[in-house]
Amino acid sequence: MSDIAWLIPLFPLLAFLLLTMGARRFSDGVASLIASGAVLISAGLSVGVLIEKVSMVAPTTLRWRWLSLGDQSISFGVEVNQLNALMLVVVSVVSLLVHIYARGYMAGDRRVPAFYAYLSLFTFSMLGLVLSPNLLQLYVFWELVGVCSFLLIGFWYFKPEAKRAARKAFILTRIGDVGLFIAVILIFWQVGSFDWGPIFTAVEAGKVAPEMITLIALLIFVGAVGKSGQFPLHSWLPDAMEGPTPVSALIHAATMVAAGVYLVARAFPIFEASDIALDTVTYVGAFTAIFAASVGLVQHDIKRVLAWSTVSQLGYMMLALGSSGYVAGVFHLTTHASFKALLFLGAGAVITALHHEQDIRQMGGLWKTQRVVGWLFLLGCLAIAGIPPFSGFFSKEEILTAAWLDGRIDVFILGVITAFLTAFYMFRLFFLVFMGGKKAKVEETRVPRIMIWPIIVLALPTVGAGFLAWLPEHGFSHWLTEGTGIAAGPEGESPGWLPLLTVLISVVGIGLAWLRYGRGRVNSAQVEAEPAKEFSIHGLLSHAYYVDDLYRWVFVKPYRWISLALTWLDRYVIAGLVKGIGLLFQNLGRIGSTMQNGQAQTYALVSLLGLVILIMGLSAGRWFG
Amino acid sequence: MMEIAKALPTFILFSPLIGVAVILWLPRQKSQWIRMAGLLGTLPPLLFAFFLACQFNFTRGAVQFRQDLPWFSIPLGQQKWNFSYQVGVDGLSLPLLMMTAIIVVLAAIASFSIKKREKGYFLLFLLLEMGMLGVFVARNLFLFFIFFEVTLVTMFFLIGIWGLVNRERAANQFLLYNGAGSVLMLLGFIGLLTLFQTMDFDRLLGIMHDPQIMQMLAQNEMAQKVLMGAFLCISLAFAIKLPVFPFHTWMLKVHTEAPPPVVMIHSGILLKMGAYGLIRFGVELFPTQVKEIATILAVLGLINILIGAALAFVQKDLRRILAYSSVSHMGIILFGIASLNVAGLSGAVFQAVSHGFISALLFFFIGRLYERTRTTDITELGGLASPMPVMTGIFLVGGLALLGLPGLSGFISEFLAFLGLFHTQPIIAAVGTLGLVLAAVYTLRAVLTVGFGPTDTRWRELTDARWTETIPMLTMVGVILLIGVWPAVLGDPIQTTLEQIMARMGG
Repeated sequence: MSDIAWLIPLFPLLAFLLLTMGARRFSDGVASLIASGAVLISAGLSVGVLIEKVSMVAPTTLRWRWLSLGDQSISFGVEVNQLNALMLVVVSVVSLLVHIYARGYMAGDRRVPAFYAYLSLFTFSMLGLVLSPNLLQLYVFWELVGVCSFLLIGFWYFKPEAKRAARKAFILTRIGDVGLFIAVILIFWQVGSFDWGPIFTAVEAGKVAPEMITLIALLIFVGAVGKSGQFPLHSWLPDAMEGPTPVSALIHAATMVAAGVYLVARAFPIFEASDIALDTVTYVGAFTAIFAASVGLVQHDIKRVLAWSTVSQLGYMMLALGSSGYVAGVFHLTTHASFKALLFLGAGAVITALHHEQDIRQMGGLWKTQRVVGWLFLLGCLAIAGIPPFSGFFSKEEILTAAWLDGRIDVFILGVITAFLTAFYMFRLFFLVFMGGKKAKVEETRVPRIMIWPIIVLALPTVGAGFLAWLPEHGFSHWLTEGTGIAAGPEGESPGWLPLLTVLISVVGIGLAWLRYGRGRVNSAQVEAEPAKEFSIHGLLSHAYYVDDLYRWVFVKPYRWISLALTWLDRYVIAGLVKGIGLLFQNLGRIGSTMQNGQAQTYALVSLLGLVILIMGLSAGRWFG
Repeated sequence: MMEIAKALPTFILFSPLIGVAVILWLPRQKSQWIRMAGLLGTLPPLLFAFFLACQFNFTRGAVQFRQDLPWFSIPLGQQKWNFSYQVGVDGLSLPLLMMTAIIVVLAAIASFSIKKREKGYFLLFLLLEMGMLGVFVARNLFLFFIFFEVTLVTMFFLIGIWGLVNRERAANQFLLYNGAGSVLMLLGFIGLLTLFQTMDFDRLLGIMHDPQIMQMLAQNEMAQKVLMGAFLCISLAFAIKLPVFPFHTWMLKVHTEAPPPVVMIHSGILLKMGAYGLIRFGVELFPTQVKEIATILAVLGLINILIGAALAFVQKDLRRILAYSSVSHMGIILFGIASLNVAGLSGAVFQAVSHGFISALLFFFIGRLYERTRTTDITELGGLASPMPVMTGIFLVGGLALLGLPGLSGFISEFLAFLGLFHTQPIIAAVGTLGLVLAAVYTLRAVLTVGFGPTDTRWRELTDARWTETIPMLTMVGVILLIGVWPAVLGDPIQTTLEQIMARMGG
């Protein structure tokens, strides 16, 4: 089965090519069928590969020569191991569900075939990224998923906000990508190969200087920071919500933004070899987790709440990996993919029902009319808040255990506070949307069935995936790390009070949210008045700590000023000098001033000069002869 | 048949003259016929070039299809200088030759928009092609110089007569700079001639890599000075052509004033003659001297990359944005050359070819856009994706190629150039990666401002691409994709030749 893993990304690619070439000939329905059919095949194959990997963990590799470099041959190919077998299923299944869902959500849009073409290209790139057996190929697909994200954020290209958000996403992630780019090159000159195997061997054998390992690990992490929306390159991800909601669910919640976490996990032996790198990952992750959670407390756009929550949860995964909690990080990546995709698709259903209203201050009382969506959304909220027995409880639990056992008490505390904030803002969202009285002025529309079914499918892992942690003899973590030489997590027994603490803290968060927003005490006028005070904590949070404004004044504007100054220099100083010399020449050769004679004269002069020099040179040569 | 195959470079070189002959014979009023003849006239070189590529031995680094015919001699005192007609193709010139042959055909299609004095235009156009092909096949300094001059003269008239408003000044500046460059090149060549009594490139190569002769020369201080002087003159000449900052003013003018099909050739091919010259005459011919200025080249590359990108960011005219972006991209070529290893140098050649196609594509687009909107000011444009989705889509692909998206050709060249330079000058290379971000900044600004956002009422009725536009553009996109996805197609011949050059350099 793994031998044909290269087919997995191929089908979405074919769908993309077909849809691009025949864009105008396909009706919306046919286009969605082509794309969904392709990703269905991929999903089937991915599940097959995963099932095979459960019993046989030896990695399978296939490769083709791509380019030679001296005696080095750079190849492309696929490699299947446990980590990416898991990722394959996550990516292809979520993608399949999003494909189906989008049929309902995008109905009536002018460019449905184009939408499916981009979605297919993304699925192809993401699967290619996951299957990469070497860093260079990973980088190639890393950039491709970035460009798909860019295209899909800017899908409604006529909206100025979408245009700005797309550009911002591209440039901020590009900054991170450059870090990865340098890391790829440094690794090549240190190890002589881009392949993971030789890289890990060289690192473990101590062939690379420790400082170099640290530098490389940090540069790889810079790439991960950009892609996974970690501080300080996080601010593109909330803005990316300008894209259609299915895109937010697939790219900006479940898969692409998790690629940074995946990258750190994939390159984990390099990180393990450097304490500085691990510390950096932990603290950046922990800071991002609490930072983004606090901003999530005051957002008004339903999708932006979820986006900040994604940033925060990705920080959680980084925190886990930095604390040597390899399995915990990957586990949370998996569970988060399911419940966050569920939440986004649920939000999309709410948005559809309310005729594309996204402001939660204009929502309320949907529990009565949208019971199914309400239940599903509640499941997602419970999962992300870490209430047992939902999946988020288990993975969050493992992360906090790892942080505790790794001995960083400050990180552990940050993690616990984040858990509290998460429970609070998620249920603030839930209560404001589903409880209280109706505020919508227009009649709700019915959410089409085709949008409900994918959410129901996602509810299964949201509820059940956590039990992977309870497999006998640590089955999941044993399987994930077998043969990789990576420790599943820090040594030690998890303290018995830990689950109690986390559940308690989450329940308190939910309770407080209920007290403030759930009992119908807060009316919409109050919520609306919230951001009015500019210089308050609330103002600070609702401007996301003014990070964007800081960037504008520290980077964007000065760069513009420098560029304008350079333009002035170029136009008047450099070109001016030239003009001076030019005038000199022109006066020398001036007889007429029209095209036919004036300039031709100049040319004749230059040629003559050349000829004189030629003859001079030829005769001068005799002196050397 | 074998005899024909041997003379293929000559066939390629002079085959544009068939078109010239036909056009000369056509009456001036038959403009449609002249256009067709101009287009058909660009096909023989393409066919011959393809034929040559098929016959080319990709595992040999040395020059192939070499032809050597005595031409004339100048008696001077007791001595005689013999000039020969020497042409040939190796892994370095083959990609550029192919690129030239392909782009010229597409530029000929774009030239259908030329609406005055077509006869003169297409005559010069085909002569220009001959000049460019000659530059890439010449194996003799004198021959190289002649063809280099042919491109100069023809370009001068193409800009000066068929350009836009300020065409005369642009043509004048073009001539001023390039004339100065030619004088420098000639000086350098004459320096070599006086030292070694030959203009045969391959003999010169042998001499310059002969340790005995070099040792003898090392004794002679005067000869050393002449050699270094020749090297600097030649390098400077090609630096102006590339152009290296601050010698770029002339090419800005050409980019904004020349007719778009001519800019396709100028930006696509003529600038690359600078890159080709720097590698062929700088790196290959002067292995010792080039090592001494490697750091300077890297710094110049850095300046080009950063200043070009910064300036491209604030321009309003699409053509100026692309002109400065060319400055920035030529910095990458300098990076590749400065690295003096196979990875970097192949990056430079990749960049020459890749940027050739990318800028040809973008200027093709600009030409067609200008025909519809009569403006290339991006502040006036916007939301063009709505009336012309195909055109804007292709523009977007071109932009993504320009900013180095993997899967398209620009990435391979940037990656290889940086890979090479990181080995020898890691600090400069690290600073240079800033250019990758800045390239995204200015490219997205241009592409998004033109294509995205609300559509102005003026542009609602614009027509999308016709098939005469789609086919050339998709051809270029196809080549850009091919190189990006399967770089070995270009990399193998380049690298065998570069490896040989590096082996001769001894390190």
